[in-house]
Amino acid sequence: MAGLVAALWVGLDAPALSRILATPGIGLSVASSLWTGSIATACALLLAHLAIALAVSGNWQRRLNAMTLPLLAMPHLAIGIGLALVLAPSGVLLRVFSPWATGFELPPDWLIVNDPAGLSLLVGLVLKETGFLVMALGAALGQVPSARLQMQSATLGYGPLKSWLTTVAPALQQQIRLPLAAVFVFGISNVEMAIPLGPDLPPTFSVLLWRWFTDPDPTIHAQAYAGTLLLFVLGIAAIVAAAVLGRLVRRLLRISAESGTRRHTERPVRRLIGIVLAAGFTLGLLSIVAIGLRAFSGQWRFPTLLPDRSSLDVWTDVAALSASVAGTTLALAAATALLGVALVLPAAEGCKQSANTRRQVGAWLFLPLLLPQMTFLFGVQVLLIRLRIDGTFVAVLWSHLIFALPYLWGLLAPARAAIDPRFDQVAATLGASPGRRWLTVTAPLLARPTLLALALAASVSVALYLPTLFAGAGRIATAASEAAAAAGSGNLRLAAAHAILLAVIPLCIFAIAYIAGAMLFRQRRGVPR
Amino acid sequence: MMALDIKNLSLRINGSALFAPLSLRVEPGTVTSVIGASGAGKSSLLNYLCGILPPEISAEGSVRLGSEDLSELPPQSRGLGRLFQDPLLFPHLDVAGNLLFGLRAGNSRRVRRERVAAALASVGLDGFAERDPATLSGGQQARVALLRVLLAEPRALLLDEPFRSLDDDNRRLVRELVFAEAKQRELPTLLVTHDQEDVIAAGGAVIRLQTPRQRDTANA
Amino acid sequence: MRASGQKLLLVLLLVFPLARPAHTQSDDWHAVVAEARGQTVYFNAWGGDLAINRYVEWAAMRLRDEYSIELQHVRVTDIAETVSRIIAERSAGRDRGGSVDLVWINGENFAALKSAGLLYGPWARQLPNAAYINWAGNPTTLIDGSLATEGYELPWGTAALTLFFDKTRVDGMPANPEDLLSWIEQHPGRFSYPQPPSFLGSAFLKQMLLALSDNKEPLYAPAGADFAALSSPLWHWLDRAHLSMWRSGRLFPHSGPAQRDLLAVGELDWMLSFNPAEASRAIRQDELHDNIGALQLDAGALANSHFLAIPYNSAATAGARVVANFLVSPEAQARKADERYWGDPTVLDIASLDSQERAYFDALESGPATPPSGERFLAEPHASWTALLEQAWLKRYVR
Repeated sequence: MAGLVAALWVGLDAPALSRILATPGIGLSVASSLWTGSIATACALLLAHLAIALAVSGNWQRRLNAMTLPLLAMPHLAIGIGLALVLAPSGVLLRVFSPWATGFELPPDWLIVNDPAGLSLLVGLVLKETGFLVMALGAALGQVPSARLQMQSATLGYGPLKSWLTTVAPALQQQIRLPLAAVFVFGISNVEMAIPLGPDLPPTFSVLLWRWFTDPDPTIHAQAYAGTLLLFVLGIAAIVAAAVLGRLVRRLLRISAESGTRRHTERPVRRLIGIVLAAGFTLGLLSIVAIGLRAFSGQWRFPTLLPDRSSLDVWTDVAALSASVAGTTLALAAATALLGVALVLPAAEGCKQSANTRRQVGAWLFLPLLLPQMTFLFGVQVLLIRLRIDGTFVAVLWSHLIFALPYLWGLLAPARAAIDPRFDQVAATLGASPGRRWLTVTAPLLARPTLLALALAASVSVALYLPTLFAGAGRIATAASEAAAAAGSGNLRLAAAHAILLAVIPLCIFAIAYIAGAMLFRQRRGVPR
Repeated sequence: MMALDIKNLSLRINGSALFAPLSLRVEPGTVTSVIGASGAGKSSLLNYLCGILPPEISAEGSVRLGSEDLSELPPQSRGLGRLFQDPLLFPHLDVAGNLLFGLRAGNSRRVRRERVAAALASVGLDGFAERDPATLSGGQQARVALLRVLLAEPRALLLDEPFRSLDDDNRRLVRELVFAEAKQRELPTLLVTHDQEDVIAAGGAVIRLQTPRQRDTANA
Repeated sequence: MRASGQKLLLVLLLVFPLARPAHTQSDDWHAVVAEARGQTVYFNAWGGDLAINRYVEWAAMRLRDEYSIELQHVRVTDIAETVSRIIAERSAGRDRGGSVDLVWINGENFAALKSAGLLYGPWARQLPNAAYINWAGNPTTLIDGSLATEGYELPWGTAALTLFFDKTRVDGMPANPEDLLSWIEQHPGRFSYPQPPSFLGSAFLKQMLLALSDNKEPLYAPAGADFAALSSPLWHWLDRAHLSMWRSGRLFPHSGPAQRDLLAVGELDWMLSFNPAEASRAIRQDELHDNIGALQLDAGALANSHFLAIPYNSAATAGARVVANFLVSPEAQARKADERYWGDPTVLDIASLDSQERAYFDALESGPATPPSGERFLAEPHASWTALLEQAWLKRYVR
């Protein structure tokens, strides 16, 4: 909060604001931020609803979860860099079809990646945010009597897909208002995807701002501070737009409900949605593969599909590069996860009885996700410099915690509340002290959600770029900051070398958490997952 | 209208039968009551008829509506209207929205609205179209739920203790309304209930569901 | 500015002989080395190139062994980030214990820090190894842009703008603007240059402006009202070239390595670098195919030096000076010039070295794609031109 106030205070500089308005292409910049952010959010929301509807009504929700997890775990930056390597004219996609099908011996001169309309940025954002919203919708499922609602509309003659969309989806939509707003704000203010994929000349407003922040000229700096103010206004607009979008979706579903149309068969529709989802999933996988290929290839001329050589030299290069940042990245991730869980568990303990308190705490913790990151972090940076702890590990850790806590709370607070209080009472009547009761009864029942929370917090930390940059003063180098720097200078090979870490670390963390979770209490069906 | 015909139906969970093989026939315009202790499989019977049996329960036997075999059809194509214990009005739609959801497609928006208004009037709920279902009394909700089912033009009615949560006065009124509608539309109706009064008011055949073991001890 | 620089050069030439006995290290220097022991030096340097990063790692290792100094390479995308950081620290009142101890810098970034009084010094010429630097033969070591360095920064390397091309696609040597333009027009979509205002992109603008101007003299004076008239040949050339360039001039590579990447995958037939040995090194490291040729424009290659400077609020000025001194030692400079490691031409006057030190350099060999050492160098135009060219470029091509 203090950070935000500081940011707004410094940002109030009329000459700087007027210089912003005089920047060449500024109108287009702002417009492309708004356009890519809103279209991507709308498409992602639609796809997420359809995916959940399809999966739950077709009984493959577990498979959907398994499909979205890798996409969720993958940081925006890694997906962005990977997609750039897939979609570019010299990218993997066109290599697959060249020259035998296309006749291209040289990559065609097509403006696909970094296109002025921001279409490739749209693809990237939709891919990532669909995954996020599927997770949010999945989490909200518990709050909605979906099975009964579905049953009722099935007996009124509706197929599973339409039943879902007209009866369950509106209720879910109500539950994910905050995540949707966060997605919208991120969509218009992100740099992680806009750097590798977004339009250029002019870039999106957020990227422009990011470049101003890293300019030597003090007058341009003042411009960046004032820019955070404009970004804040755009963020507010995004929150309003998210609310409108939510209403619009509910209204559309309502019109569809009241029309009373029943389809004879839903199969073609289901197939179409399935194809779109599968295509997105494949694209996501392909981009991860492309990162691997590019990072470990030597020279790799179009149109050869696989790199000509993968010399030992390149491997040692990548290993050396990665090793130097992997340590910091892992240390930050581990510290964020452990400290975050250590903070959240006692708080969740305190709020276990009041759903209202839980909601309020959650809303406060969620606030930083509703602000454009650069606005918020600029304030944080000012504060850190005042405290003289900028550029320290602790400062970066703190900034990572800010962004990990809302996820930890969202996972652990309900998990704690869901434990039947009578277990504790039974233990008490058996003469166990409060400490012992927590250790022997509550903690084991929380073990699985805690594992997942640790993995989630760690992967959030690995993915964070701007917090690392602003709080770390450029001194703390993580895989994300290195990958962003390389992508910013357009050096995709170097970016890929760092993005490998970005991709591999979260996947490993989740795999470990998943396996450990499965091993725990294997013989006990009643232990909550 | 056609009769609802169940032949040699048995439902098994983990291999053990829920009740002895069941055969029954419900003629159009009549109400057959199914009674039995809780756990006897009354709800599972209705779920089977609707085609929404959970995967752990297996079924043998057949169910026909007239000459049509229902067991091969997906739930939404069976044309069975079901009233649940709770009215289950969709909370995000107003009363009219709920009814429009039930009403078969076709006609202009205006005509559809008029039909809904007329339906509401027919059960004494004039002017309730715009109301939030959550603000209705239990009896009112039950009537809306009934209208929603009827507007979907079912070929048979399945009543899953629909009067249970109502107070005495409302229970009588709603019960009379439901049975009168079923009779008037000549719908074969299957009523699952605990309540002796329901059975008497239904006036049709009565089937008691028994677990196979209960029957064994009864025979002994 | 330029006049004062020349005056400085003169003064320097006069004192030069006195500075010769480099090996008699003064007590002062011993004190500096002693103070530096155990210090951590945060070295903010561009980190966008694998080879350079590895070179800095090597230096860090040597410094740890020899001087017990911990050299931390803070990899930055653009040194402008560091400049803004130092400015931010000053406005936050952090005049001591700053986060940066040594920066790799030149041109307008140096000008920004020096004019704001944010540099420590003067210190550069007091270093023992400063005596080897080719101050006299290479004026770019004393004048950075058009600003005299005055000992506030130490030359670390010299560069000359070089164009590299795919020999299978480019016939002959289009080494003047007209020939280059006609090649571009005959091969649409195959040429580009890094996007201004990136360092290399702005350098390309200056290079083309110099090559297209018959009378270069006004370009070395502060840009004024005649800017539009003097720069119009450049815009004419660019307007035509953009039509046939990669992505029709609607997208540009963001940096030199980005352009090298595009040449490597086959999207472009050209790349630019200030380092004449860059392509040879890249070929050696399997980043580029080996059919690469190089040229410098007939009008002369734009040349400049890059430097090391110490921020005014550095927490380790002694350590930073010892690091800088090591980085211009014959050993470190020879390794830097070695194409197997970095391949950046040295700032030392090799003739001034003794035979043992010279042996480091004699062992070097240059690769297939390195142009013969250029004869005609063009100094950078007056510093005021850079910003104006960048602004004009943005106004003209960002819509």
